Amino acid sequence: MLKKEQNELVTQTGPGTPMGDLFRSYWQPILISSELPENDCPPVRVKVLSERLVAFRDSEGKLGLIDEFCAHRGVSLWFGRNEECGLRCPYHGWKFDTTGQCVEVPSEPAESGYAAKIKLKSYPLIEKGGILWTYMGPAESQPTLPEWEFTNVPLENIFVSKRLQENNWLQAMEGGIDSSHVSFLHRGDLNNDPLFKGAAGNKYNLADSKPVFEVVEHPGGLYIGARRNAEDGKYYWRITPWVMPSFTMVPPRGDHPIHGHFWVPIDDESCTAWSFDYHPVRPLHAEERIAMQNGKGIHVKYVPGTFRPLANKDNDYLIDREAQKAGRTFSGVEGIGMQDASLQESMGPICDRTKENLVGTDNGIIMARHRLMRAAKALREKGTLPPGRESEHQKIRSAAVILPPDQPYKDAAREALIAKPGTPQTTV
Amino acid sequence: MILSESARVTTAHEASFRIQYPNSKPRAVKVIALDAGSAKLVDEIAKLNWHGAAFFTSLSFDAGSAPGGTDGKTLKAWLNDLAGRTMDLVSEVAGADCVVVVATAGKDVQSAAVIAEVCTLHHKTLIALVVPEDNAPDDQIDVSLRALRPYAKMLVIAHGRDYIEAMLTALRA
Ligand code: FES
Ligand SMILES: [Fe+2]
Repeated sequence: MLKKEQNELVTQTGPGTPMGDLFRSYWQPILISSELPENDCPPVRVKVLSERLVAFRDSEGKLGLIDEFCAHRGVSLWFGRNEECGLRCPYHGWKFDTTGQCVEVPSEPAESGYAAKIKLKSYPLIEKGGILWTYMGPAESQPTLPEWEFTNVPLENIFVSKRLQENNWLQAMEGGIDSSHVSFLHRGDLNNDPLFKGAAGNKYNLADSKPVFEVVEHPGGLYIGARRNAEDGKYYWRITPWVMPSFTMVPPRGDHPIHGHFWVPIDDESCTAWSFDYHPVRPLHAEERIAMQNGKGIHVKYVPGTFRPLANKDNDYLIDREAQKAGRTFSGVEGIGMQDASLQESMGPICDRTKENLVGTDNGIIMARHRLMRAAKALREKGTLPPGRESEHQKIRSAAVILPPDQPYKDAAREALIAKPGTPQTTV
Repeated sequence: MILSESARVTTAHEASFRIQYPNSKPRAVKVIALDAGSAKLVDEIAKLNWHGAAFFTSLSFDAGSAPGGTDGKTLKAWLNDLAGRTMDLVSEVAGADCVVVVATAGKDVQSAAVIAEVCTLHHKTLIALVVPEDNAPDDQIDVSLRALRPYAKMLVIAHGRDYIEAMLTALRA
C-alpha cells in the first residue's frame, strides 16, 4: 500500500515534478532508429514525460528533437518539410535546425536578424544500439552515453521493439520485477513460445509455483532473486536486476537470447514499453528474429503502421475464454507481452495503490518504490543525482543458476551478474 | 464505432467508480528483533502509529526445546514485548498473519530457527530482514543470509530503519 501522496509522487513524471526530474536525469530511449531511417525522412512525433516534441534526421544526418509546435503560430511541425538541413513549417515557411534554432523567417529580411531571436526548446538525441535516446535534464548533469550491454553488441545480435501501453509507467514496471506472476500468468507459454521453450530451467518454474525470494540492493538498484527447488537439495535461482528508474532484465532460459525492458512515461496515463532481446556472443538466428517480428517472446504483433498492439483494449485483447478454460493460456490472452499489458491496463490509467494488499513476496516492488521515492526526494531537496546513471550500474545482466543451498546468489553469481563483452550469459 | 468494454472501463473517469468499501481486514503482523542491534531499531519503529502490529525485542526458550528440537507444541519460548511483558511465542505466532524477523547482519540468529519452526507449524509466512551495520563487510551479511535462508519466504537486505518502516507500511502493519 502507498499513501495517496506517495502514489502521486511516484506516478507523476511531467515537467517540474520530483519523479519527472528523476527521469530527466537519465538517457531515455524514445525511438527505434528505423523510425528515422534516412536523412531528410519524414519527422516523427514524440511524446515523452508529458512533453510533445518532434524528431527528425536532417540532410546531413544530424538528429534533432525539438518542441513540436512552430514558434510562429503553433502549427505542428510534424507537417514540416524536412529539407536543406532543417524542418520547415508548411504554414508560412519558418525553418528550424536540429537544435531548435530558427534559421529562416521568410517574411522578414534575412539581414534583420529576426530568425536569430527565435529558438524552440530542443533536447540532445543520440543513436546507440539501434535506438535513439534523449536526455531531457539540465545540461550540466548530462550523464555519459548509455552503456547497457545490448547497446554495445553488434546489431545482428539485437532485436528491439516498443509498444504503446495505455497506463502509467509504474504499474507496468512493477510487473517486470514481480517474478512470482510468471508461474501463473505465463505458465502456458514457457513450454510453447519458441523463444522460451526447451530450457532446462522451465521445469523448475512449472514444478514449483511458490518461489522464495531474496532481495539485495546494488548501487544502481536491486537484484531480485527467486529461488525454486532443483534436484539434490539444490536451488534454481532466477535473478532479475532492476536499475533505476525503469530498466529490468528477465533471467535467461537456456541459450535463448536474453531480454529485458525499459518503461518510459509518455504521460501519466500511458507509457512506452520497450522490449529488447540480444545474445551477448552470437548473432540472432533467422528463426529467432522472425519469431520476434511475429510478436513471440516478449514482443507483440501490432495494428499495422503503429506501435499499438494488435490485441488491445478496443478488442478486449482478443480474449479467448476457451483457451483460458483449457489452460492453454492462464488469462485467455495470447502472448507474454499482452498478458502483462492487458492486466496492467485493467488496473486503470493510474493504479490506486491505496487499495492494494501487498504480501511478503512483494518486497521487490516495495523496495523499488522506496528507492525511487528516496532518490526523487534527494534530487529535489539536495540536488543529489540518482543511482543508475553510471556505466558501472548499467553493465549488468540477469542470470539463471543452480546453486547449493548455503550459497548466497549475490556472491555465487557475482560474475554472472556483470556484463562482460564476449562472455555468454549464465543460464539454465 | 462501438467501444469494447475494456476500452470503456479503463478511463480515468471510470476509475473513479472503483467502490470505496474496504477490501481487507487489518492483519496482525508480529515483528521480532533477533539481537540487540535490531532490538534498538524495532524499539524506535514501534513508537510510530501502526494498525495492530506487535513488536518484540527478545526471545528466550527452554534448554529442552532448543532449535531443531521437538515438536512445536511442547516448545516453550517467550517473547518480550516493549512494555517488558513476557508473551508466549507459540500463541503470538498462532495469532499472526505474518511474522517479520529483523536481524543485524552477522549477529547470532539461532532464535530464527525456533520462530521458523513455530511458523511452519502454524502455516505462517516468515519474512526476514537483514540490517547491515554501517560499512558491514559482505561476509557478515552472508552469515545472516545463510542462517535465515532455510526459513524465510522472503529474505531482504534492508539498509537502515527507513526501509523497515516502508515495508511495514506497505504491508498495512
Ligand atoms: S492476484 Fe495479483 S493482482 Fe490479482
Ligand atoms: Fe510478465
